[in-house]
Amino acid sequence: MIKAIPKPIEEIIENVKDCDKLLIAGCDGCVTVCEAGGLKEAKILASALRLYFTQGGKQAQVDDTSLTRQCEKEYLAQLSDRIDQYDAVVSLACGCGVQYLAEMYDKKVIYPGVDTCFMGVNEERGLYSERCQACGRCILAETGGICPIARCSKRMLNGPCGGSDKGKCEVSKDVPCGWELIYERLKTVGQLDRFENPTVPKDWTTSRDGGPRKIVREDLRI
Amino acid sequence: MSKEKEKAAQDQSRKGGNGKGAAAPVGAVMVVGGGVAGIQASLDLANSGFYVHLVEAKPAIGGVMAQLDKTFPTNDCSMCILSPKLVECGRHLNIEILAPAEVQSISGEPGNFKVQVAQPARYIDLEKCIGCGLCAEKCPQKVPDEFNQGLAMRKSAYVLYPQAVPQKYAIEKETCIYFRKGGKCKACEKFCPADAVDFEQKDQVRELEVGAVIMTPGFQTFDPAKYSSYHYAQFPNVVTSLEFERILSASGPFAGHLVRPSKDRKEPKKIAWLQCVGSRDVKTHSYCSAVCCMYAIKEAVIAKEHAPYDLDVAIFFMDMRTFGKDFEQYYNRAKDEQGVRFIRSRIHTIDAAPNDDLLITYLDESGEKKSEIFDMVVMSVGMEVSRKAKQLAQTLGVDINQHDFVNTTPFAPVDASKPGIYACGAMQGPKDIPESVMQASAAAGAVSATLGEVRWTKTKVRETPPQKDIRPEDQPRIGVFVCNCGINIGGIVDVPGLRDYAASLPNVVYTTDNLFTCSQDTQGQITKIIEEENLNRVVVAACTPITHEALFRETMIDAGLNKYLFEMANIRNQDSWVHMKEPEKATEKAKDLLRMAVARASLLKPLVEKPLTINQRALVIGGGVAGMNAALNLGDQGFETIILEKEDQLGGNARRVHHTIEGQEVQGYLEDLIEKVGNHPKLQILTGALVVGFSGYKGNFTTEVLVGPAMYERKIDHGVTVVATGGREYRPREFSYGEHPRIMTQLELGDFLHEHPEEAAKWQRVTFIQCVGSRNKENPNCSRICCQGAVKYALQLKGLNPEMDVMTLYRDMRTYGFLEDYYRESREKGVLFSRYKLEDPPQVEVDGDQLSVTFVDHVLERPIKMPVDAVILSAAALPNDTEELASLVKIPRNAAGFFIEAHAKLRPVDFASEGIFLCGMAHSPKLISESIAQSMAAASRAGAFLADTTQTISGVTAYVSPERCAACLVCVRSCPYHVPQITGDNVSEINPALCQGCGTCASECPAEVIQVSHFEDDQIAAKIKTLY
Repeated sequence: MIKAIPKPIEEIIENVKDCDKLLIAGCDGCVTVCEAGGLKEAKILASALRLYFTQGGKQAQVDDTSLTRQCEKEYLAQLSDRIDQYDAVVSLACGCGVQYLAEMYDKKVIYPGVDTCFMGVNEERGLYSERCQACGRCILAETGGICPIARCSKRMLNGPCGGSDKGKCEVSKDVPCGWELIYERLKTVGQLDRFENPTVPKDWTTSRDGGPRKIVREDLRI
Repeated sequence: MSKEKEKAAQDQSRKGGNGKGAAAPVGAVMVVGGGVAGIQASLDLANSGFYVHLVEAKPAIGGVMAQLDKTFPTNDCSMCILSPKLVECGRHLNIEILAPAEVQSISGEPGNFKVQVAQPARYIDLEKCIGCGLCAEKCPQKVPDEFNQGLAMRKSAYVLYPQAVPQKYAIEKETCIYFRKGGKCKACEKFCPADAVDFEQKDQVRELEVGAVIMTPGFQTFDPAKYSSYHYAQFPNVVTSLEFERILSASGPFAGHLVRPSKDRKEPKKIAWLQCVGSRDVKTHSYCSAVCCMYAIKEAVIAKEHAPYDLDVAIFFMDMRTFGKDFEQYYNRAKDEQGVRFIRSRIHTIDAAPNDDLLITYLDESGEKKSEIFDMVVMSVGMEVSRKAKQLAQTLGVDINQHDFVNTTPFAPVDASKPGIYACGAMQGPKDIPESVMQASAAAGAVSATLGEVRWTKTKVRETPPQKDIRPEDQPRIGVFVCNCGINIGGIVDVPGLRDYAASLPNVVYTTDNLFTCSQDTQGQITKIIEEENLNRVVVAACTPITHEALFRETMIDAGLNKYLFEMANIRNQDSWVHMKEPEKATEKAKDLLRMAVARASLLKPLVEKPLTINQRALVIGGGVAGMNAALNLGDQGFETIILEKEDQLGGNARRVHHTIEGQEVQGYLEDLIEKVGNHPKLQILTGALVVGFSGYKGNFTTEVLVGPAMYERKIDHGVTVVATGGREYRPREFSYGEHPRIMTQLELGDFLHEHPEEAAKWQRVTFIQCVGSRNKENPNCSRICCQGAVKYALQLKGLNPEMDVMTLYRDMRTYGFLEDYYRESREKGVLFSRYKLEDPPQVEVDGDQLSVTFVDHVLERPIKMPVDAVILSAAALPNDTEELASLVKIPRNAAGFFIEAHAKLRPVDFASEGIFLCGMAHSPKLISESIAQSMAAASRAGAFLADTTQTISGVTAYVSPERCAACLVCVRSCPYHVPQITGDNVSEINPALCQGCGTCASECPAEVIQVSHFEDDQIAAKIKTLY
């Protein structure tokens, strides 16, 4: 799922300090799961902003809500009858949600309340790590189920490089070398022979190199 | 008890005591002694279906634990953890507290005793006393306060301590002016608002019929005045450890401010503790008191915490005996991190120094003479049996040992010499709180096993009217009762004003004020008013719900209202007491507190407490001595029990232990035990059995087992689980173990001595090396049993060949309790003991067939090499591998792999998850006798759970509104009891039978879809909103 972290309150205050009526909109999807933007976070942020305004001697209205998913028009419509009353909305959804909200309510000022970080996994509560960069052409079958694009700092397709040291990446001692992981994994599953066939240069057009991407699934379209 | 007697008693118990002509046993039990052990035994028994008469010599229960400041090794506040048990005992429908009272005589047979109990007059009517304290306030006679060890004064009219149960006053005849001066004074009677003082009260003797008696009168501390060179009676700043507990205590003579007792009341800068005062000394008590090392460390650590300056603390000791679970780490932290100085020296004399300071002269480890001046010296006084406790043993007709403690045997650790009479706690031998609690439960278990058939025959049942149907849409009709609490509240807060204010609050239809809202007659009035005014919510503005909510809830039930429609405002502890100098502001705050309570009360909902169905079968995992004893006790209690043993035969480690240090034959005992278990009609044994699945909750577990040798799968439904997975001996990697056949562990030596005693008799020199694999970096725990093991085998070797040189290389000899007598005996018989340091361990050399040991003599400070015939490694006691079981059953283990009990002090055989219990080496290393006691305790707790078929599931549980649940697993991961689960529908589900209502999940849920009933967001928010 998408992983995000709450923005520092100071940054949000800088954006909203002149507002009189604010809505904090959480999202019940990914950001709830990574505890950055669910209803609980929305309520906490709303409380914090109310405190900020009250302490500054200002009577501002800060409401909170959470939408089922901010990446769907139908769910964004849950705000249609009330959004007009607010000066601005702080969306705690991922970057997709913030943009789609802004797109749907094009006259409304929308601020992001979280920093969207990556697509990753929950290793433990409060510990998330990246696993996929959405390159558009999955090569996990060749690399023992470990992605060199997401897990190698250089996104090398044929690794490891000379910076790999005792299983760690030269970027940081806390980062495991992606290619060391791939090697160990291929050894475990008896597929080390894959190293004998270098990976051919990748077509990056399905990634960001081809510009903003779009999926059109004719089989699904109604 | 002799074996024959034991067998006779048990045979009788199986038949239910219905021998020829014998009357049916009585389903009531007497517990003599109201300390923590007596309290635990009473609660276990009362919850198991027996009526309990709890006889306590003092006017309140609580014992010594109530006097302690903190408890080791968790530093929990002693009173804070004891108080709930006191309250539970005091309120239990099936526990009658007789205090003060003493047993006068006993007659009859097991199952049918008649006990005469003398109850001296209290001169205050318990029924009328409301505990307001006016009698004590007005009493003109000051006397030394024994609860504070004479460091403070109390009055002749008094309550033993602030949290005493019963919370009732007493008048001490011996000091009361009325009795001494022939009818004058009576101040208490004049001022008592409840008319409770009764000088005409007479001493009484009651005859009570009981099926069994548990004696647990506890201990008294040794009087250090007997050591004249310590000048305890002369020097004001020489105090006992119990006095120091009171000095540290917030409710003590100096309100927790660390000052010394001399007139200067100076904050001490240097304090010394002297260990073994009245212990390990043949002139006073030769035994070790077992608890003083730990309490001295605790007092030193807590004293440093109390002092707002750098307090210097030093403990003078002989051997540091931190042998209990997690004790060694506590010692290490004190030594290495908290700056407690440990000086190995027994102090002979305390000399006077100027300004009431104290001079201690000692020889340090190198033999150098040193002197230090201290501001205070604490005597770590030992435990001894009081004259009265000894008298009790005589009255009950049970044998005592040479130290005056009750005589029990290792294989029947709570059976006194007379059938039907059981002993537990410090009267059975010096021991700490958890050991006392374990033994208390064990004694209760022993009683349940013999009186099982007459459960619920003497118990009382509360009659309640049918509950009125209150619907959420019904308009709240709130009655507010404001308490004056004598003058406690009314003297500060404007109570009539508060009462009138309450009438102005929304939904309030009735208000009144009472002198004491908690008094018995007020409960009747409240019931009547609920009926007359058709109230559907009640608010009491008084004291704390911790002590009084349960009482008012019962009144609600008596009035036919759901007990959850009740709310309290604490305008005493949180208001009148803390703001007594500002009455106007206190009144304003009382209004705030009351307004908040009323706001919440309007939103309270009636909650249903569903009855808990309980499968009456028990499952015991582990078929060693602990598991078998637990199963046998449960079987004798009448519960079908299944034992799972992973090996193909029962017995566990006991198969390799041949005798106990007391000389009892283990194999004979084991054979007998296996036979009893095998022939028991209620027990079933599955050997070669492996747990592969575990599900369910208290009262309703299902365990999947693979049963060998065919490995067929079996599902067992059961109501309780006892984990007795045992331990193992560490296989040493040090001291050349494995390189020579005569480098062996203690268990190997035991087998060798059993099989080839003639070979061993030829040995000329044997060396024991202690702490092999214990008390080091890898395993910081002390293994507890190896010191006595070395002494036991050393004595056995000396018995085979008195000329044999036996040398024990040790770090601290930890022969606690009566084990000390064997340590002394071994020295008398010529066994040598030499201490080594962790950083300078002995060296074992193997040269062909020859063995030699080199060690550094700590007096000569030179290495000594000696040829030896055998090296015995006292290898650590480790838990069996239970990683998989722990994750299946979801029960926690510590770093060493021992299971973690629910509470180190007061719930030593329970897991935090209800319905699961533990015993034996799975908990921590222990002796056979200790394992047996703990297993009986686990069986007692498990049996009490099974027997109490009236249990309900609390209404205060968390529930999920699944529509918006993101299945994020936060609740699953944050619940301390592992209750929430994600269902097949991808939403969280919380089983109310398992939920403890702690609210962690509700506060953590990122989607805010979890609420805790009775503490719902809107109910809490209403309080906050009305405040601002």
